[in-house]
Amino acid sequence: MKNLFKSKGFREFLRVLIALAIGITLGFIITLFVSESPIEAYKSFLFGPLTRLNRIGDWLEDSLTLVLVGLAMCIVFTAGQWYIGAEGQMILGALISGVVILFVPLPPALRITLAFVVSAIVGFLWAVVPAFLKAYLNANELITSLMLNTIAIKAFEYFLKYYIMPEGSRTLTSARVPKDLQLPSFIPDIPILSSIRELWMKQTSVSIIVYIAIAAVIAVYYLLYKTPFGYELRTVGSNKKFARYGGININRTVLLAMTVSGIFAGIAGTHLTLAIHNRLIVGMSSGMGFEGVNIAILARLNPLLVPISSLLYGYMRAGAEVMERTTDVSRELVMVIQAVILLLVTAERLMPTIQQRIDHANEGNNINDGKIKGGINDI
Amino acid sequence: MRPLIDLINIDKVYDNGVVANNGVNFSVKKGEIHALVGENGAGKSTLMKILYGMEKPTEGEIWVNGEQKHFNSSTDAIAATIGMVHQNFMLVPSFTVAENVVLGDEPRKNGLIDRDAVLNITKDLSDQFGLFVQPDAIVNSINVGMRQRVEILKTLYRKAEILILDEPTAVLTPQETDDLFIAIRILVKQGKTVIFITHKLREVKEISDRVTVMRHGKMIGTLDTKDVSREQMANMMVGREVFLDIKKPKIKRGEKRMRVKNLSYVSEIGRQLLRNVNFNLYAGEILGIAGVEGNGQTELVEVLTGLKPAAGGTVLIGDCNILESTPREIRLRKIAHIPEDRLSNGVAVRSTIEENIIVDRYFQKPYRNGLFINRKVVKTECENLIEKFSILTPNGKLPVSSLSGGNMQKVVVAREFSSEPEVLIASQPTRGIDVGSTEFIREQLVEIRSKGTAILLVSADLSEVMSVSDRIVALYEGEITGVFPDASKVSEKELGLYMLGVKQQTYEEMEKYL
Ligand SMILES: Nc1ncnc2c1ncn2[C@@H]1O[C@H](COP(=O)(O)OP(=O)(O)OP(=O)(O)O)[C@@H](O)[C@H]1O
Ligand SMILES: [Mg+2]
Repeated sequence: MKNLFKSKGFREFLRVLIALAIGITLGFIITLFVSESPIEAYKSFLFGPLTRLNRIGDWLEDSLTLVLVGLAMCIVFTAGQWYIGAEGQMILGALISGVVILFVPLPPALRITLAFVVSAIVGFLWAVVPAFLKAYLNANELITSLMLNTIAIKAFEYFLKYYIMPEGSRTLTSARVPKDLQLPSFIPDIPILSSIRELWMKQTSVSIIVYIAIAAVIAVYYLLYKTPFGYELRTVGSNKKFARYGGININRTVLLAMTVSGIFAGIAGTHLTLAIHNRLIVGMSSGMGFEGVNIAILARLNPLLVPISSLLYGYMRAGAEVMERTTDVSRELVMVIQAVILLLVTAERLMPTIQQRIDHANEGNNINDGKIKGGINDI
Repeated sequence: MRPLIDLINIDKVYDNGVVANNGVNFSVKKGEIHALVGENGAGKSTLMKILYGMEKPTEGEIWVNGEQKHFNSSTDAIAATIGMVHQNFMLVPSFTVAENVVLGDEPRKNGLIDRDAVLNITKDLSDQFGLFVQPDAIVNSINVGMRQRVEILKTLYRKAEILILDEPTAVLTPQETDDLFIAIRILVKQGKTVIFITHKLREVKEISDRVTVMRHGKMIGTLDTKDVSREQMANMMVGREVFLDIKKPKIKRGEKRMRVKNLSYVSEIGRQLLRNVNFNLYAGEILGIAGVEGNGQTELVEVLTGLKPAAGGTVLIGDCNILESTPREIRLRKIAHIPEDRLSNGVAVRSTIEENIIVDRYFQKPYRNGLFINRKVVKTECENLIEKFSILTPNGKLPVSSLSGGNMQKVVVAREFSSEPEVLIASQPTRGIDVGSTEFIREQLVEIRSKGTAILLVSADLSEVMSVSDRIVALYEGEITGVFPDASKVSEKELGLYMLGVKQQTYEEMEKYL
C-alpha cells in the first residue's frame, strides 16, 4: 500500500489529475467572463458528449484516431526525436485508402485490407525523407516534418481536385464510400447483439478499428519495451552519446523510429476515410495528427496510457464541439484548457516543486528531488 | 566553542528503501578544512545533500551556527550561507561562465539583467579568491577544471561561508588539483569553512585539518588528520586491510593484438591532436599511457574505439583496419572501452542498471531470444555483475541516477570487463572509486591481462599507470616522446620529463619497444 502511494506511476497520475482540475477550473473562470449563461455552457462542455448516442460515437471515433497518432508520437518521442509528421502521414494514409476503396476492383474484404496495408506503407515511406535529411545533413526533424506536412496536405488537395473528385461535383469531395466498403461495426454481427448493433450503426461509426487500436497499443508496448529495436529507441532517446558508444546505429534507429511511427499514422488515415468521413474531404484530419503530440505527452510516452489520454482528450474535443454548437462559447475555450493542462503536465520544473512542497508537508514522506530533470529533453 | 555545523543523529532512507545514512553525527568547526571519506555508497553525498537542503533527513537535526534549521530546499540552505559543488556539475552548458555564476539571482537595472554587472561581478569574485575563469566563455567550451571553479564562484556569489565540495578532484589533473588546493587555502584564510569529499587519501593528508570516516551509512569517527596514516584511514573505511600496492605476477606477453601505425587526428577546429602515433598492443600486457591530461589521450582512445574519425594512419586487428569500422563492428571484434567521461558516454543515467549493462550485447544470444530481449537472462547476468563488482543497489531495475557516483563507474567497469574482451581500452578506470574497489578493479585488470587480454590503460593518476602497467609510453602534445619497456624500472621523475616534452627519445631508439 505504502508503495502504491509512493510509486512513480501513482505520482505521475496524481500530477495529471491535478493539472486536469486546474485546467477545468480555469476554463470555468474564463467562461464566467465570456458567456451569458456560463453554467449552461460549462455543463454542455462537461457532460455534453454523454447526452446522446451519436455524441458518444463522435467522442469514441475521435479518440480512436487519437490513439493511433498518439502511439505514433510515442515511438518518435521515445527515440528523442521532435518529429511531428503524423499529420502528413495520416492525410496521405487517408488519401491512399480512398483511392484503393474507390478505384481498385477487388472484393470488399480484400479491398479494405489492401487499404490498410497501403496506407501503412505510405505512412512508413513518407518519413524516409526527413529521416535521411536528419541523418546525413543534420536537418532539424521538427522543421522538415512540418514542411512535409504542408506538402502532404497540398498533395491531398491536388489529387482530390484533379483526379478523384467526381465529374460535375460542386464540392471538393470524393464520391461516398459505398456501405459495403466502409469498416464494419465493432459489434459483431451475431443474433443476440443485432439490435444494439443496428442502433450503434445508425448513429455512430465506431468500427472494428477499436480492435486494431487495442492491438496497436499492445504491439507498440511490446515493441518499445520488449524488443531489441525498442531498446535501441529508448537508449538513443535517453543518451545519444551512450548509444553510439555502445554500438547502436543512431541513424538507422532514428530512421526506423520515424518510419515505423508512420505505420500507425497511416492506419489512422484509413480510419478517417473508411469510418469517420466515408469520403475524402478537405480538412478531414481536423488537425488530429498534431494532437497526437499532446496525447503522447499526456501519456508520459507510455503506450499503455495512450488510450486513457486519448479518451480524455477526445472527450474534451467532443465537449467543445457540443458547447460550440449549443451555446455562445466557442471551442477555443477548450483549447485554452487543453493548453493549460499540457503546460502543467510538461512543466517538469514546476510540478516537482509543488510535489516536494506537498511531500514535505506530509511528515516522513521523502522524495527524490527530481534531480534528473528532463524538461523538453525528456521526450 | 560550539561547532559551526552540527548534524545530529541523521537518518536517511530513500524511496526505494536504501538506508543511506544511519544515526550520523557530524560536526564541523569554523574555518577548518574538513575531509569526508568513505566507500562508494557510504552516504557521503547524501549527508551533504541533507546539509544543503536537497534531501530531507528522515530523522535527525541540523544545527548551523547554534540555530536549529529545517531546510525545505537548497534555497533555505543557501540563505544559511551554505554552498555546494556537486559531484556531477550542474551548470547550464549554453550559458556563459558569468551568466552561470549569477543564475537565479541576476543583478538588475531597470528590471532588466545588467550584462556589464554580470561580467564585473564574476571578474571581481574570481580575482578576490584566486579562482581563474573566463567570464564571457560559453560553459560548453571550457574544461572541467574551469567548470569547477565556476561552480565554486557560484556559491561564493550567493555569499556562502560554508563550502561543500563533493569529490572536486576526481575530474582534475594533478596540476589542477594543486591549483584548487591553493584556492581552498585562500578561501579558508578569508574565513570560509570547507567540507571536502575525496577518495584520494593522499589529498586528505595534504589539505585537511580533520577527517571524518563513514561506512555503510554510519559515522565511524572524526580525527585530527595529523594523527592518522593513510593505511589507518583505509582500514577504517573498508573495515579490513587494504593493499594500496598490487601484486602482479610476471608473465610472458603473447602475440600482437593491435597494431597502431602513423595514427593522426585533427580536431573539428583544425588542431592536430595526434601526430604519427605508433605502438603495438600485445596479448597479456598492460600498456600504460603517461601524459598530462589534454595531450591527446582522450582523442587516442576515441579514435581507437571508432567514436572519432582518424585523419590518417591505420589500426590493425589481424589484417583488418578498424579505422573504417563502426563502434559496433569494433566491439564485435572484442574490443571493450571504459570511457573517461562516464556521465556522457559511459551510462545513460535515466535508464536502468540492466539497460546500461546490456548496451553492447542486447542483440546477441542469449540476451536476445528471437524477437524479444530475454528478460530472465538479462536479470540473472545483471545480478551476477552487481554481486561480483559489489555495485551498491537493491536491484538492477533502478535507474543509474539512483546510484552513488562511484557505483555508476562500477556499472561501466562491470559491463566492459564482462564482455570478455581481447583488447580493453581503459580510460580512468578507477575515477571516483573508493580505495577498496580501486584495489579490486586494478586486480581485475591484472587478472584479465594474465589471462591474455591486451590492455591500454590511460589514467590521470600517474601512480596508477606506474603500478599497474607492464610497459609505458609517454604522450606529449599528441606525440609519443618515450617508451619504457619495463614499467617497474622507470622513476616518476624520469617519466615526468618525457610527459612535459623536456626529454624525447628518437624514433630509432623507441622503435623496437613500441
Ligand atoms: N536519489 C536516490 N535514490 C535512491 N537511492 C539513492 C539515491 N541517491 C543515492 N542513493 C543510494 O544511497 C546510498 C548512498 O549514496 P551516496 O551518493 O550518498 O554515496 P557516496 O558516499 O557519495 O558514494 P560515492 O563515493 O560513490 O559518491 C547508495 O547506496 C545509493 O545507491
Ligand atoms: Mg558521492
